[in-house]
Amino acid sequence: MEKKRIVVTGIGLITPIGTGEKAFWAAAIASENGVRPIQSIDVSDYKTKTGGEVLDFNSSDWFTAEESSSMGRSSQFAVAATRMALADAGISDGTIDPWRVAVSMGTTMGEPQILDESVRKKYTGGSEESIPADLPRQYPCGVIPANISRMLGFKGPSVILPAACAAGNYAIGYAMDLIRLGRADVVIAGGSDPFSSIAFTGFNRLLATTKDVCRPFDKERNGMAVSEGAGILIIESLEHALARKARIRAELLGYGIACDAFHMTTPAEDGCGGILASRKALDHAGVSPDSIDYVCAHGTGTPANDKSEAVIAKTVFGDRGTKIPMSSIKSMLGHTMGAASAIEAAACILMLENDTVLPTINYENPDPLCDIDCVPNKARSMKLQTVMSNAYAFAGNTSAIILSKFKGE
Amino acid sequence: MSDRLLLTAMSCATPAGFGLEATTAGLAAKTKPCSIKNYEFHSFDEEVPAYLIPQSWDAATVLGKSGLRTKDRSTKLLLSTIETGLKGIFSDRAPEKKPGLSIGTAFGSVQSIGDFLSDSIVSGVNAVNPVLFANTVINSPVGNANIRYEIKSLSATSSGTFNAGLDAMIYAADHIRSGHHDAILAGGLEEVSYYTTLGFKRSGLLSKAASSRPFASDADGVICGEGCALFLIETAKSAADAGRSAIAYISGYAQTFDPNSGVRGFNPDAEAATVAVNQALAMAGLTASDISFVASGASGNPASDAIEATVISSIFGNVPVAAYKAQFGESYGAAPALAVAAAIIDAKRGFITGTGSDYKVSGNVNLVKADTAVNAKHVLVTSFSCDGNCAALILSMAD
Repeated sequence: MEKKRIVVTGIGLITPIGTGEKAFWAAAIASENGVRPIQSIDVSDYKTKTGGEVLDFNSSDWFTAEESSSMGRSSQFAVAATRMALADAGISDGTIDPWRVAVSMGTTMGEPQILDESVRKKYTGGSEESIPADLPRQYPCGVIPANISRMLGFKGPSVILPAACAAGNYAIGYAMDLIRLGRADVVIAGGSDPFSSIAFTGFNRLLATTKDVCRPFDKERNGMAVSEGAGILIIESLEHALARKARIRAELLGYGIACDAFHMTTPAEDGCGGILASRKALDHAGVSPDSIDYVCAHGTGTPANDKSEAVIAKTVFGDRGTKIPMSSIKSMLGHTMGAASAIEAAACILMLENDTVLPTINYENPDPLCDIDCVPNKARSMKLQTVMSNAYAFAGNTSAIILSKFKGE
Repeated sequence: MSDRLLLTAMSCATPAGFGLEATTAGLAAKTKPCSIKNYEFHSFDEEVPAYLIPQSWDAATVLGKSGLRTKDRSTKLLLSTIETGLKGIFSDRAPEKKPGLSIGTAFGSVQSIGDFLSDSIVSGVNAVNPVLFANTVINSPVGNANIRYEIKSLSATSSGTFNAGLDAMIYAADHIRSGHHDAILAGGLEEVSYYTTLGFKRSGLLSKAASSRPFASDADGVICGEGCALFLIETAKSAADAGRSAIAYISGYAQTFDPNSGVRGFNPDAEAATVAVNQALAMAGLTASDISFVASGASGNPASDAIEATVISSIFGNVPVAAYKAQFGESYGAAPALAVAAAIIDAKRGFITGTGSDYKVSGNVNLVKADTAVNAKHVLVTSFSCDGNCAALILSMAD
């Protein structure tokens, strides 16, 4: 197969610390904490009362009332972020062949609020009639890419890979394959997840949520923060981007996906799946571990994940494993589930462009089991050429992608 | 397609029977829906027709009792299907080299999600069983299979609504053709759940006549079904190394999207579906006249059946058309994978399974009603989903 070079030409972001890349970057560079008291659901019965909500997203800014009512929050995030990314990429109606544009998305929960609302009605005095007639059309997570394709008029493959919290990387990786196989010229790739009471309840019951803020790699870390958001990348072949004189923001070099095959909710202590995914990504990208300047960690803030991730870094990078800058932006955003790795991919591109790595905030107490350079608390200026972004998930799904500055033709 | 992939092993669990042999026998005998009132700890207000896996399937018998208590129906169905005829494919390689998994499902275990929610509402958020939370993620069944069979190479779930089974097979083919791996077990999976059945009932999509009659001029809807069909897709070298031979080849495939379908139903112009079929033919290097029969996605939903009829009649004219949902019901994401399984069964036995009942057909399609002899070389499987997704896959039978 011809190894076409693959580039990113647009970014769209909806996050708890800002909607749009400028707002996001300004907040991230300032180490802003997006994990706050939850407003969207009643948390009085929960031990944890904080999470990451997108407070500056107004549906009416993006959609008519009719459009809003036809889509769940996950789709609304996804379509709005796609519009941002297309504008950033300089793609407007009629400028590209809609048959050659694919959509590749990831999610963890899909559109849970539609089922949540109906089940809540049914079990608080309702009946069968509480289950909405639109449930078959609006609930399946396949509606997320379908809504992007439908709202933007694209006619190529429209797929979703719900690989839980690694889903964004899965979707970005598949975008590379679709282009290299000649099945698309442009792929809208990313992830989207709304704040979900199911996820919030589940992670609470697993005792996996922090009581206050998310502090990855800290000795006193006590869990993750359930969050929401969307990240979208416009991915295309270099040839296609050059032909339309697009601004190239980064090059996507490769990806790897694998599995721990260990436990549904706990990562393997030896990091086997994460190591395998990283090595596959390096091999696919054709680069050595020594060429990686920075690692965007999965970094959830749970004791098990962060400890495992330090093992992965030291195994993949050898002696450099304790020295390579490796931060978790989930310390600021919380865990945006299936959107996380797509947002992190976009963050990596901004870091490459600004020669600055984002920090792990809320870090106070070093943990000998996480003996890495987590870029504590403040962003750091440094020369960057090539970066890796890792994402892991329930069911042992593991993934890594590698991005670099565009070096020219 | 110069690098066409082999399909070397398969298994299925369908309303016609649990396992390949039972499904083959069930197709010949013509499957009928059952009627459910009390189902998975819930009660419907009235009897609802459904195509369920026959009660002869008992997950504990197939899989052993250990570890099953917290697994949901989708997971048990996937594991049982693998265990029955496919577990041997994982035995001769290291975990990171084993065939990967790529499974399509439209709804995942919506039963688990709905029950987790209802439990948190009825019993309180601090009373729900945390172990059951893992069942709420859509990739849970695949993850459970990765763990049971120690598969570290790939764990992928596709969820392209009613095309999910084909999406998962196409994802597997793309993953292999991209050089990431050489063998992937791929297919579709779906359970009948209380919540989706109610949703279909509320939306008016369920057949009031309680009959699944694809392409019928008086069809009034679908009957919910379930099932799992899995296929080992691999390169010629992988198959040769393992001593496996081809049952069939994946010769071509395509996916398109119709932006004018979705919110208000199907776009009758069927352009995207037509393009998908023509792209699949082009990829296979075949013409319409090479297709022996079409395994359609027709379900008894008049709107979607009209799209199938328009596309098939305009491209293929009088080609024989199978409608396996007459036997299986509408199993959403599993449906196109069940159609692949049935098409292979039919091609191998030399008969296209008929719908089993005679009725007036809407649209200009040559619907196979009674089992009909065929010497199948190439079979087209179609799936055109209500959300606008269109998928087509061409199988070429091994000699």
